Amino acid sequence: MTDLVIETQGLRKEFRSRRGVRVAVQDLDLAVPAGGVHGFLGPNGSGKTTTIRMLLGLATATSGSMRLFGEPVPQRLPSVIDRVGAVVENPKFSPHFTGRQNLTLLARTIGPSGGVDAAVDQVVETVGLSGRDQDRYKAYSLGMKQRLAIAATLLKSPELLILDEPTNGLDPAGIREIRDTIRQLGESGVTVLLSSHILAEVQQVCTSATIIGNGRMLASGRVDDLIGISTSYRVAVPDPATARSVLTGAGFTLTGTDDELLVDTDRPAAVTEALGAAGIWLSELTPLRADLETVFLELTAGDQLGGAA
Amino acid sequence: MRRLVGVELTRLRWRRAVQVLVAFALFVPILVFAITAWNTRSYSDAEMAEFQTQVDRDTNSIETQQSLKDCLDNPDDFGVPPGEDVQTTCEEWTLPQLDWYAFREPLNLDTERDAGSGVVVIALLAVLFALAGTTFAGHDWNTGSMSNQLLFEPRRGRVWLTKGLVVTLASGAIAAVVLAAYWTGLWVLAGARSLDPSGHSVWEGYQQGIRGTALAALCALCAYAVTMLFRSTVVTLGVLFGLSILAPILLALIAFPDNERWMPQTNIAAVMLDGTTYYGEMVCTSTTDELGNEIQECGDSTEHKLTLAGGSAYLLGLLALAAVPSVLTFRRRDVP
Repeated sequence: MTDLVIETQGLRKEFRSRRGVRVAVQDLDLAVPAGGVHGFLGPNGSGKTTTIRMLLGLATATSGSMRLFGEPVPQRLPSVIDRVGAVVENPKFSPHFTGRQNLTLLARTIGPSGGVDAAVDQVVETVGLSGRDQDRYKAYSLGMKQRLAIAATLLKSPELLILDEPTNGLDPAGIREIRDTIRQLGESGVTVLLSSHILAEVQQVCTSATIIGNGRMLASGRVDDLIGISTSYRVAVPDPATARSVLTGAGFTLTGTDDELLVDTDRPAAVTEALGAAGIWLSELTPLRADLETVFLELTAGDQLGGAA
Repeated sequence: MRRLVGVELTRLRWRRAVQVLVAFALFVPILVFAITAWNTRSYSDAEMAEFQTQVDRDTNSIETQQSLKDCLDNPDDFGVPPGEDVQTTCEEWTLPQLDWYAFREPLNLDTERDAGSGVVVIALLAVLFALAGTTFAGHDWNTGSMSNQLLFEPRRGRVWLTKGLVVTLASGAIAAVVLAAYWTGLWVLAGARSLDPSGHSVWEGYQQGIRGTALAALCALCAYAVTMLFRSTVVTLGVLFGLSILAPILLALIAFPDNERWMPQTNIAAVMLDGTTYYGEMVCTSTTDELGNEIQECGDSTEHKLTLAGGSAYLLGLLALAAVPSVLTFRRRDVP
């Protein structure tokens, strides 16, 4: 139980308005183990940000339970919040204050052991804002704002870092820097929950992931395992027509053309066994590993448009 | 808690809008003081000589002498009471007097306190600190930085209280300094003009300063609470406008019994002036004459005294109406 840094059970969030009740998150069981980078993947409006906001006490859950580091939240949130750094949606700071002033106010709230100025200096340098920290926040580019937001999370030396779409609006170089930073943080022992709708980002950076759509959990596990869910195999044989007939008769689902047989299965040995029993010898049996995008699109089919927020 | 107070105090101090409002709170009373000093300055000998010349010139003018003659010839037309000395009365009424020209009143601390610049300065501070309270909270909501702050201190009740405490204390402290300086300035000015104000008048001025400090701090806290409730500076200004302008009009229109008692300005006056007088409904009686016609006779409006305690209770009630839902809502609401 305590190995899980984040745990939700039956989490539900409803928004009530004059137009009725809108369910943003429903029966979500989320489990994020300690260590590594965990992707939180879903289409826009699938409930990722709402879930994160509930975990951080910014929104109240309609029902269900949540735990951070084994402590029930929001009841015990004050006792664990110092171990959690988070960037929720867009960075939000006072625009008329300088970057340093914004960080100083937040640092003074927690009172870092090494002193406020030292802590601010360190995080400013870590995110590459040295020399620009005395500029007003409103003069920052979007990339600099994102960096400042990440700097703010690092003020706490967090054990858990929750990043909601951290590369939004960044240029390619900025995206790469942020991804490297996330990867390094994950390798250094910090647990990172990376919320994103960018599949390549999650696949490149994350060790495990949870996919949600319409507020529901669709799949969860190691990224390799998730990709394995929809693995298919290309089968090459001298007589494809006969092989197709044999495999169909054995209950396999086949796709592809007459010349290229594609078998959807997680039991490749059964394919060789069926064809061998029919006297057909394989010249090729190649796993076609799906990328995360394929898995994502299969799981969230229909959610991209008009899904719940 | 102490650390959070320090953080919020810094946040308040760094806000540019607050800095501007504080500058106004310091500068405008200086301006009011200067105007008061100017308007109550004594006349110089040269000015008095000039006025006397004007009196003499106007006394000898044809129009004035004709008026005097008319009065002496027909005192009844001028309303000279029977039995009065006609010559003296007509001269008094028609001939120019020196104080018709030298009308400026000398500095009087009691007047300044009850109906003069002392009241103006308190009203000004109350408005400025209400604006400071609303802009302080409104900025956190407008920029979305409130959510960031809650990621570092999730105990919302504590956050609300700390911000409110800082707004109240800062407003109160500045108001106290300004009002103390203002009354000290008036005291020194009166002394410099050899007016020798009584110790009682000076002490009453400082007492009003204390009440004004409390009023300014309360206005700041009230505006802060309303802004935390509605998450909008504009809505807060609308509520304050409604309370100060529309509510009295509405109360007057619906002829609410004893409505003057419930008007905000009456209660504010009671706090500023250590009690005030307001007027209730006129008492009318109907009688029937011998022809059967109904005759209604109304007396004067009834006069009521509203004490400092009564006014304070009213204003604290308004504060509670704003603060309680504000803090309760903030503890539970979703923060964008």
